[in-house]
Amino acid sequence: MFDKGIDSNRVLAPEGEPIEFIYQGHHFHIHAITSRWSESGGWWNRISDGNLHANDLLKIDDQARAVWRVEAAPVGALATFEIELDEVTGNWRIRPTSRAC
Amino acid sequence: MLANFTHLRTCSGYSFKYGTATADQLVERATEFGMSTLALTDRDNMAGAIRFVQACESAAIKPILGINLSFLQRKYRITLLATADGGLASLYQLLTAVNFAGGLLTHEILQENIVHTKKLLIMHGPDSQIGAAIGARQLTQGLSIFNSTKDYFAQQGIEVLSHRIRGDGPMSTPFAARMLTFARSNDLPAVITNAVRMLNRSDGPLADVLDSARNLVPLHKRHVERQNSEAYLKDTKAMHQLATEIAQAAGESTAHSLIKTTMQWAEMATLDPRRDVGIGKIHLPEPSVVGGKTQNDLTIQLKQRCEAGLGIKYFGEQSIVAANRLSDELATVRTLGYESYFLTVANITDLARSKSIRVAARGSGAGSLICYLLGISGVEPITHGLLMERFCSPLRNELPDIDIDVESARRLEIYDAVFEKYGRRVATVSMVETYRSRHAIRDVGAALGISPIEVDLIAKSLPHIRARNIAKALENLPELKNLKLDTPILRMAINLAQQLDGLPRHLSMHPCAIVLSDIGLRNHAPLEVNASGYPMVQFDKDDVEAVGFLKLDVLGVRMQSAIAYTISEIERIEGVQLDIDQISLADQKTFDLIASTRTLGVFQIESPGQRELIGKFAPSSFTDLIIDISLFRPGPVKSDMIRPFLSARHGLSNVKSIHPDLDSIMSETEGVVVFHEQVIRLISVMTGITLAQSDEKRRSLGTLDGQQEVCDWFYPAALAQGYQLDVVQEIWEILRAFASFGFCKAHAAAFALPTYQSAWLKTHHTAAFMAGVLTHDPGMYPKRLILDDARQWGIEIKGIDVNKSERTVTVEKVDVDQQVNKQRSYVAPDLNSTGRSLQLPDASGYALRISLADVGGISEREINSIIAARPFVDLADFVRRSGASITTTESLIIIGGFDQLHRIDQSHRVVNGSKGLNRRDLLLHLQDLYKLNGGQKVGESQLTLELLPPPLVAAGLPNLTAAELVQNEVSILGMEVTAHMLNFYGDFLNAVGAVKSSDVIKQRSGASVLIAGVKSALQTPPVRSGRRVMFLTIDDGHGCNDVTFFEDTQQSYAQLLRTSNIFLIRGAVRRTGPRGVSIRATQAWELSSAYNSWLAGNASDTDVSLNNGRNLTTMESKNA
Repeated sequence: MFDKGIDSNRVLAPEGEPIEFIYQGHHFHIHAITSRWSESGGWWNRISDGNLHANDLLKIDDQARAVWRVEAAPVGALATFEIELDEVTGNWRIRPTSRAC
Repeated sequence: MLANFTHLRTCSGYSFKYGTATADQLVERATEFGMSTLALTDRDNMAGAIRFVQACESAAIKPILGINLSFLQRKYRITLLATADGGLASLYQLLTAVNFAGGLLTHEILQENIVHTKKLLIMHGPDSQIGAAIGARQLTQGLSIFNSTKDYFAQQGIEVLSHRIRGDGPMSTPFAARMLTFARSNDLPAVITNAVRMLNRSDGPLADVLDSARNLVPLHKRHVERQNSEAYLKDTKAMHQLATEIAQAAGESTAHSLIKTTMQWAEMATLDPRRDVGIGKIHLPEPSVVGGKTQNDLTIQLKQRCEAGLGIKYFGEQSIVAANRLSDELATVRTLGYESYFLTVANITDLARSKSIRVAARGSGAGSLICYLLGISGVEPITHGLLMERFCSPLRNELPDIDIDVESARRLEIYDAVFEKYGRRVATVSMVETYRSRHAIRDVGAALGISPIEVDLIAKSLPHIRARNIAKALENLPELKNLKLDTPILRMAINLAQQLDGLPRHLSMHPCAIVLSDIGLRNHAPLEVNASGYPMVQFDKDDVEAVGFLKLDVLGVRMQSAIAYTISEIERIEGVQLDIDQISLADQKTFDLIASTRTLGVFQIESPGQRELIGKFAPSSFTDLIIDISLFRPGPVKSDMIRPFLSARHGLSNVKSIHPDLDSIMSETEGVVVFHEQVIRLISVMTGITLAQSDEKRRSLGTLDGQQEVCDWFYPAALAQGYQLDVVQEIWEILRAFASFGFCKAHAAAFALPTYQSAWLKTHHTAAFMAGVLTHDPGMYPKRLILDDARQWGIEIKGIDVNKSERTVTVEKVDVDQQVNKQRSYVAPDLNSTGRSLQLPDASGYALRISLADVGGISEREINSIIAARPFVDLADFVRRSGASITTTESLIIIGGFDQLHRIDQSHRVVNGSKGLNRRDLLLHLQDLYKLNGGQKVGESQLTLELLPPPLVAAGLPNLTAAELVQNEVSILGMEVTAHMLNFYGDFLNAVGAVKSSDVIKQRSGASVLIAGVKSALQTPPVRSGRRVMFLTIDDGHGCNDVTFFEDTQQSYAQLLRTSNIFLIRGAVRRTGPRGVSIRATQAWELSSAYNSWLAGNASDTDVSLNNGRNLTTMESKNA
C-alpha cells in the first residue's frame, strides 16, 4: 500500500517539478514542496546480491533518484507525499507520508 | 537569457583520487555551456593549474585559480582564490609555505604570510569550521571564527552549497539556507558554488572508486561518502535553479543577490593567462648571480669568456671562421637576452668539473659554438657542420633546451652543488603519474572487494598499457583467457578501471629535470618538498617551460661513470693522468676496434644491430660515427636509408650531383640526407633565406599541412633564385621524404663523443675499461658476457679474495708468462673491403679482480667493515673481525674468497680424495667457529670467541666439481669467473656436434642444428595475432643466438625455459636477412641434465639425437 508507485504520466510536471498527480484514483494538487533531495549510489550492493543490471557492464546504473516531499490535497483535503522520479527509467513513485487520504 | 554562471569551486583529477575529470574536459564542458569563466580549485595542490590555464586560453575561457586546503584541522576545508591583483604569486607563496609546514594551513602560517593572504579571497563552506559551527547551531561561535581570519584576506565569504542531500545536514538545501541566513544576518558576502568533482552526473561510481582508493577501504555503505550525484559541473540554468531553491528556503524571494555576489567574486579573481599566470614569459637568473650587475655586464662577460675559449681552441684560418661565427651567435643571444641562460648552464658544468665530475652536453646544444667555447659541450661544431640555429633561434620565443649527461654515480652531488649555489632560484620538477592498467585494476579490485590474490594475478598479467586499453588487451592475450574474466563482477571492474584511464594519481619527482629562475621562483610556481628532500615545483616539465623557467635535464649516464672509473684505474695502475677530452679523434687503432665489431661495453654501438651495422659500415672517422649513430634509428632503418648510403660509401654506386651548389651538403652523407642540419642548409641555399628561417621551414615539414605550405612556398622561392625546375623538384622530393626521419646532427655528435671515448679506452686501456664497465654496468649485456669479452682480449680474471678484492672491480698487473688464461679464441673478421688487417689490442699481462660488491646479498656495511679490518690471517680471524654475516662468509668461501689465505689449490684437475684443504673443509670450519659461541648459531651479529677455535683440518671431503664451481659463481656473483660455463661441457658438446653461435650463420636455411648456451634474455612480447612467441637469447662464449619457441613447442618447454639457465637446444636455422639468423626451436633440454645423462650413458632417456642420425650413445662409445 505504502510503496505503491504509479505511472509517470500520472504525475504532472511540465517544468520538471511535480504540480499534480493521481494517487489511488484521486486527483491531487500539490500545494507546497516541503523539501527536495537527490539520492543515488549503492550500486555496488548489486554485485554481492548477484543482481547486476544488464547495462551495468557498459555503464554502471548509479540509481539516481530525485525526491520531492510535497503537501498535496485531493479536493480540499491536504496530505503529505513523497514523489520520486527514477531518473533512469523515468518512472515515478508516490508515497504518502501522512495518512490523510 | 540568464547571465552565465561561473563555478568558483571545481576539482579536477589533479585533486588526486578525488576528482573524476581532467582539466581539459571541464574547460570543454564550460565552453559548451557558454560560460565565460571557470575556476580550478584542486585539493592540496596546483599541479593542474598551467594545463588548465592553457586549456582555458585555447577555449577563450577566462581562468580563475584557487586551492582547496585543510584549515586549522584536517577535517575542515576552505577554498582560496587568487585575486587578479597579483594574487596568484601570493597563492603560490602561501601554498609553498603550507607545503613546507606539512600541508595544513594554520593561523601561524596566515600571520607569517599576511602580505600574501591580503591578495586572496577565502570561501567558508559547509565543510569549514564555520559550517560546523552553524551545523551545531552555534552562530556566535561561527561569527567569531569568521572574524578571527577577517584581517588576513582581501575578502571573506560564506560559501552556500547544496548537493540536495536528504535531510538538513551539510550539503543539503536546508543547511545551505541556514548558511545564507547566517551571512545575511551578519552582513557577510555569500556566494554559491557546486563543489564540483565530476564532469557528468553519471560519474558517481567512478567517484566512489576514487574515494575508496584514497581512503583504502572497500565500498560499503558504512564508509561511502557520496550520497548522490550532484557534484558535477552543472549548467547555468541548473545553478540558477539551485540558487533560487536555497534563497527561497532562506526566505529570499529570488536568488538575485546570491548570484550577483558570486559573479562579482568571479570578476575579482579572473586572471589573464599571459599577464597574471605568466604563460610565455621568461625568468632567468639575475645578472648578479652569474657575476654581473647589469644585462650589459653579462653581454661583456659572455663575449670575453667565449673569446678566451676561442684563443685556446682555434688556430690560424680556423680562428677567423670561428670568430665570425661567434659574433653571429653572440648577436642572436643578445637579441634574445639569453646571456644569463648560457652563463648559468656554463656555471653548472663548471661546478661539476670543479668537483671532478664528468659532464657532457647532449642534444642540439652541441650545435652552438658558444656552448663549445664555454665548455658546456665537447664537440667542435664548425668542422662537424653543426648549426646554432637548430638549437636557438630568434624566431622561436622559447628557451633552448640543454640536457647534460653526468656520471650517474655522482648525479646528486651536482644537485646539491646547484641547490647550494642557486638557493631559492632552483627546484626540481614534478612528474604526474597517471592511472595505467595495473594500478587501475588494483584500485578498482580493492574497492569492489575482489580477493587480493585474484586482483594481483590479473594486474600482473596485464602488460604496461593505458588503462583504457585493458579490454582490448584481454581480447588479444591468450594467457589471460584462462583467468575467467567474464564474470559480471570482473567485467564491471574492468569497465571501471578503463574509466580511470589517464587520471592523475600521484605527483612524483621528475628523474632528472631541475629548473632555475630568478629569485622570484616562488612567485611563479608553488613548491613542495619531495620524497628525496629537494624543493620541487608542482608543475611538470611542460608547465615549467610554459612559465619560462630555465629547465635543465641532468641525466645520470653510467657510461660517464665507467669512463671516470677507467681513468682513475689508469692513473692507479700506470701512473698516467689521462685527459680523455684531449685525445685525438682520428686514432686508427680505435677505428680498427670498432670495425672489428668487438664493441661490447662501448657506448651506443654495442647492441647486436649496431655491431652488424658497424661491421658493414666500418666507420673510419668521427664524422662516420656521427652518421652511424644517426642511421641506427627506426626511421632510417624502416625507410631503407642505410642500404643506399652503404652502397655509395663502398663505391658500389655513384653519388649523383644534383646541382654544384648543393654538392658540399649532400656529399657529407653520400647523397642520402640524414641530418636536420642538411635540410636546413638545403632550404637556405636554394631559397636565400637565413638558416634560422630555414629551421622554421624544417619544423613545418613535420606535419602534412605544414609540408603543403612549405611546398607552396619552396617552388617559387627556389625558382626565383634561378634553380631549374627539375632541380627544385628533385630536392623537394628529398626534403619531403627524409625531413621527417632526419636526425639532429648536433645530438648525434654529442652522443658520438662518449662513443668514441669509450672505444678509445677499450682500445688503449682494455683492462681498465673493462673494470669500469663491470663496475658501473652501463650497457645492455649481463656482466658475465663482459667478463667473457675481457677474457678474449687476454685479460686474466681473478676471483674474489677477502684480502684483495675492493668494492669495485680493479685492475692488477700479472706476469704474462705465468698467465693462466692464454687461449684467445676470437679472430677478427677479415675486412675484404679494405684488405687491411686490423690492429687489435692485446691486454695480456693484465688481470681483473672481481669486487666484493659483486657478491650476492652482501651489504654496503659489510663491504666497509671487511675493507677496514684487512688484512685477515685466516678464516677464524675474518669471522672475528670482519663484521660479515655468516651467510656472506659462506658465500665468500664457496666462491673462493679464502682460497689464497688457506692455500687451497682449486685447479680443476684436483681429483676426489685430494689430501689438501678444500672449500668444504672451510665451510665445516665456519660451522665450528659459530658453534663455539655458547653452542648457539649466531646469525648476523659479531662474534666474541673466548674459546680457542677448533683446528682447521682436511676432512677428506670431496672437492667441489668444476661444474659446481661455476654454478656457485653464477648463483653468487651473477657471472662465472673461472671460465665460461660452457667450457665444462666442451667434450659433451663436441661429441654431440653442437654448433658454435659464430658458426650458425654458415648453416643453410632450414638445417637442423644443436646449439647450447646460457640464458641472457627470455621475452614473451604480446603479439597482435594472439599467437604468442617466446624469444630466448643464449650465449655460448662465441656470441649470442636468438631462439624462437612457437606455440607448438611452448607447452613442452615454457616451464623449463623459465626455470633453467643453461640449455641445449635443437632447432631449424632460419635466415632473417643477409646477415641475420635465428633458430626455430623444436626441442630443449637443461644442459647439465643432458650432460649427466650422457655421462651415465643413457642418452636415450633425454632423447638427444645427433644431427645426422647419430646419437649420443654411439658418440659416447666412440669416445670410449
